[in-house]
Amino acid sequence: MEDSVDLGGGQTRMEVAFGAGDGDEEASAVVTKSDTKLGSIFNQQYRTWEGSLGPRWVRNYAIYRHHVYGLLTSKGHRYYHPMVRLLILVIFIGALTPVPMLFLSSLLGGEDGGFISKMWGINRYNLWGQVLGYFPRNMCFWPLLTALVVGGMISDDRKNGTSAIYFSRPVTRFDYTSMKYLSVAVILGFVIVFSYFLYYTSAIVFRGEGWAFLADTLPIFIGGMIAGIILVITYTSIGLALSSISQSRFFAAIGFLSVIYGTKLVSLLVELQFENTILYIISPYDCLAHVGQFLVGLPPNYDHPLSFSILSLLLINTLSLGLLISRVSSLEVTRE
Amino acid sequence: MIENHQDSSSKNGDNLSQENFVIEAKGLRKMYGPHLALDDVNLSIPSGAIGILGPNGAGKSTLFKCLLGLIGTTSGEGTVLGYDIKTEGEKIRSRIGYMPEYNALDSGLIAIDQVRYCGELLGMNSKVAAQRAHEVLEYVGLKEQRYRKIETFSTGMLQATKLACALIHDPDILICDEPTNGLDKRARKFMLKTLKRTVQQGNRTVLMSSHVMDDVQEVCDRIVLIHKGKIVVQRSIGELVNQVEREIEIMIWGGASKMEESLISKNLSVRRLGRIIRIKIEDEETIKKVLESAVESEVQIRQLKEYEPDLEDIFLLIMDKLGSEIKGSSELMTPDHKGGF
Repeated sequence: MEDSVDLGGGQTRMEVAFGAGDGDEEASAVVTKSDTKLGSIFNQQYRTWEGSLGPRWVRNYAIYRHHVYGLLTSKGHRYYHPMVRLLILVIFIGALTPVPMLFLSSLLGGEDGGFISKMWGINRYNLWGQVLGYFPRNMCFWPLLTALVVGGMISDDRKNGTSAIYFSRPVTRFDYTSMKYLSVAVILGFVIVFSYFLYYTSAIVFRGEGWAFLADTLPIFIGGMIAGIILVITYTSIGLALSSISQSRFFAAIGFLSVIYGTKLVSLLVELQFENTILYIISPYDCLAHVGQFLVGLPPNYDHPLSFSILSLLLINTLSLGLLISRVSSLEVTRE
Repeated sequence: MIENHQDSSSKNGDNLSQENFVIEAKGLRKMYGPHLALDDVNLSIPSGAIGILGPNGAGKSTLFKCLLGLIGTTSGEGTVLGYDIKTEGEKIRSRIGYMPEYNALDSGLIAIDQVRYCGELLGMNSKVAAQRAHEVLEYVGLKEQRYRKIETFSTGMLQATKLACALIHDPDILICDEPTNGLDKRARKFMLKTLKRTVQQGNRTVLMSSHVMDDVQEVCDRIVLIHKGKIVVQRSIGELVNQVEREIEIMIWGGASKMEESLISKNLSVRRLGRIIRIKIEDEETIKKVLESAVESEVQIRQLKEYEPDLEDIFLLIMDKLGSEIKGSSELMTPDHKGGF
């Protein structure tokens, strides 16, 4: 292979120290000190490794575990600030508030127990409200929970350059994105769907309900669970898309809260002014609530057709995923 | 021109070509829209330590990305450790350790967890990765600091941690992008020693990209120089040095101008910068003529040596031949490159 440069006859550069003079001055002696010798503090030894690397699922599971286990213990996994972990715990406990009330109703029995059971017991409204009720869950709990979890999920990799850790290894962008998505969805799912499941089962256990109750309420419960899963998917898509477009976890969190609360507020104002609910299709929460009402079998609070909300949800998810994929594609391994 | 084919100690040598080149490329082209980033790149890299040189924007990063199988090439073909860069990127990345130029560490983790996680991302079992993380952190000199949070690390420790992340699976090829970036003298010396040991003791191939020619010369025995997307030189440093004119360098005290005139009068080819004078070696008589001139001019010769061109000289000569107006490799550095040395 021939080089395209021939150095034959080339001359090297010349340099002198700054302020060295022109060499025509009177001679005088200069004495220099020798360098201090630095000792060696350990015996450096290269050790080879003969093991074998696991398949794709091992790598993917490592990403998943890193992000999910970090919530339980920061030791060895992704670091979540203690306040973030505490807030998530508070939200989870908050989501379970009907459980002690059901327990109380079973303890009290009689008229008082019956009243408490009516207020917090299993029915269409309460099952819908456990996942999709606006206050407190969709105003205080779920958006805040999502904002806390998605905050630095991808934006931290963009900010710290840690995307290089993933993509210089046999981790594909699809695996990276899907595992991050799964991690967020599992955390949200645990708080939202699992708390819903606990609520339902504790009602059965504490009230000593039988098969007839189960047969009556199970379809409603499943409808609510599907609504919860759609909520988790939608919030994860929006949250991760926002996390992928910035280098700031604060931006992703605030951006998510702004999307959820902002669209809700604008739609509400339009409804109050014009008595028309059509603009609720821009609000992810209201689309979810509308679909949830259908799944649980409640009369809708919205005048516009259900298909508009379903289409809107599909569009919101598609746009969010498109944005997420496009931004993850631009994550660099080498910075230029 | 690459003549010395060293034996590869690859863990899976079957994939390598008969000549044991760890990296080969033929007619590799990469275009970003209308911009030609790599132009007809032909590479044959044997195992050992290779310096990848070139000005900013020459195409080094694009070449790395192509070799890692991260981006598709417009045309041409290439193999790394016998694996096709177009179709077997994942296999290539399993066998390569990449040490990025910029910080790529999670500041919230402690060093041992960061390195272990890097191993897990390669598919290593968690326990094995943890054990190996201890070994490599010791190797890069962070044994005492392995339980410290990365956010408390100095630049030298961060670079060492990145190196540990790259070495955790004992890769066949280690790609280091500016490994001495921002390091002070002591940390730089240790980093270079570690890279050298990885080549000599570990029998691994190191591809090192740097703008600090002294660092490349310290570790590497051959260079690949990229300019405007083309490979302009790929050969051993020794061969390049031998192509350059041999000169004697003398340092004069008292009367350098007189000395210069005397040397010219003896028909010697002379260059002078202040008290430093270089004389082209014409024949065996040259030194004798120099000493005679010193006696005639009544000056002191404080130092006389045959000037050994270093890699910086070679680099500047090549850039000069290519019509580039670079006066020193330091011009290629950003503030991030400059450490305390």
